[in-house]
Amino acid sequence: MANEGLRDNETLSSLKNESETLKSKLEEERAKLHDVELHQVADRVDALGQFVMKTRRTLKGHGNKVLCMDWCKDKRRLVSSSQDGKVIVWDAFTTNKEHAVTMPCTWVMACAYAPSGCAIACGGLDNKCSVYPLTFDKNENMAAKKKSVAMHTNYLSACSFTNSDMQILTASGDGTCALWDVESGQLLQSFHGHAADVLCLDLAPSETGNTFVSGGCDKKAMVWDLRSGQCIQSFETHDSDINSVRYYPSGDAFASASDDATVSTSICLPILTLLLFMCSPYTVGRLLFTGYNDYTINVWDVLKGTRVSILFGHENRVSTLRVSPDGTAFCSGSWDHTLRVRGFLMYVNIGLLRGIPVTYRGIRPYMGIVGPIPNDSDSGFRIYFRSSVNLFPLEK
Amino acid sequence: MSGKACTSGAVTQAQRAVEQLRLEAATERIKISKAATELMLYCQENHRRDPLLSGVPASANPFKDKKTCVLL
Repeated sequence: MANEGLRDNETLSSLKNESETLKSKLEEERAKLHDVELHQVADRVDALGQFVMKTRRTLKGHGNKVLCMDWCKDKRRLVSSSQDGKVIVWDAFTTNKEHAVTMPCTWVMACAYAPSGCAIACGGLDNKCSVYPLTFDKNENMAAKKKSVAMHTNYLSACSFTNSDMQILTASGDGTCALWDVESGQLLQSFHGHAADVLCLDLAPSETGNTFVSGGCDKKAMVWDLRSGQCIQSFETHDSDINSVRYYPSGDAFASASDDATVSTSICLPILTLLLFMCSPYTVGRLLFTGYNDYTINVWDVLKGTRVSILFGHENRVSTLRVSPDGTAFCSGSWDHTLRVRGFLMYVNIGLLRGIPVTYRGIRPYMGIVGPIPNDSDSGFRIYFRSSVNLFPLEK
Repeated sequence: MSGKACTSGAVTQAQRAVEQLRLEAATERIKISKAATELMLYCQENHRRDPLLSGVPASANPFKDKKTCVLL
């Protein structure tokens, strides 16, 4: 019977009408609450000075595009995966490769480091997420200990361990996300709702609860309850695929970045909106790092909505970007086959340099840098930062 | 034959969509002015703890180069 499944008073068209009514009601409500912009609220906050970051380490070794990377909690090691099918664990301080695994597929699009530092997870075109325990026994073959945990019906786009090594959350081209038990490989919860490939996910900071956000090719960002599988909120503000989502450290907001060349910071649960940017973001409270197809990385002031810095150095599209667990460095991976670890060098506030040429002379040269700094004609010197090392002070 | 071309698939999908929207409509929301203020306060409170903004002494920076600084 064509009417099976419908309750009294329901027809397909009445359901669609209700759908439209609810959608416009939601839009109305969100518009009503949108009483001010973030940068207006932050008007009195001091602007950040110019910002410099030096490329401290360049990790070379992948034979093809680097697609994903993740830091270890020890703030020193990181794992990266590439189109060449290899997954490498690096010591970012020494640039040594500590482990390397060759996957049975190319395009390893996702990788993650376990919270304990004792295992990594990865996957891609094999439609699976596999966990490899890390061992320092030189005779041990890493591939032999591989555990297949997640099985999707399309490519794996993202994966992340939850608070422990025991569970892993995955996102897939099959349009779903799923939570798995690592030991048994059992599916614990699945998350349905995206109408197309899910490209990214990020777990909420552990102190703020059991949710995660996902972004997909259906242009939606969805916030989910880990335990129930329920979608709590969905946001449809982008015009194209959402490549990356990241929770704000406070857990009250998240940023989503899309191919439509914008990044919006959404205050989830409460409301929506705020700023506009691009590609692969990561927030460190005040700063948002985004990587682009034009090989650059932009650093933004979240409160003011302004760009603080442009970082050069990569020779191809920036595909992945993460700040280290303690915030002292961040790593970017690129289609140029390398990863660059950039660290804090010095916070240079042009205002502070005024009248203190002695301090200024002590600045060391550095590479891979920043956009133009406004000419400070009052103090009589101009600083140029060039991508090939030297600092050219011109003092009157 | 009646003109009803509903398949049970389309119906369940529509039902799910409506249920989801009802749930989202019922969520409590706060004004952006309030949410934005909280975000701003969070940034300000954590400013000093953020190594990228407040800096780390060179001795504590694990990524610094081992060379000594040459004063011109």
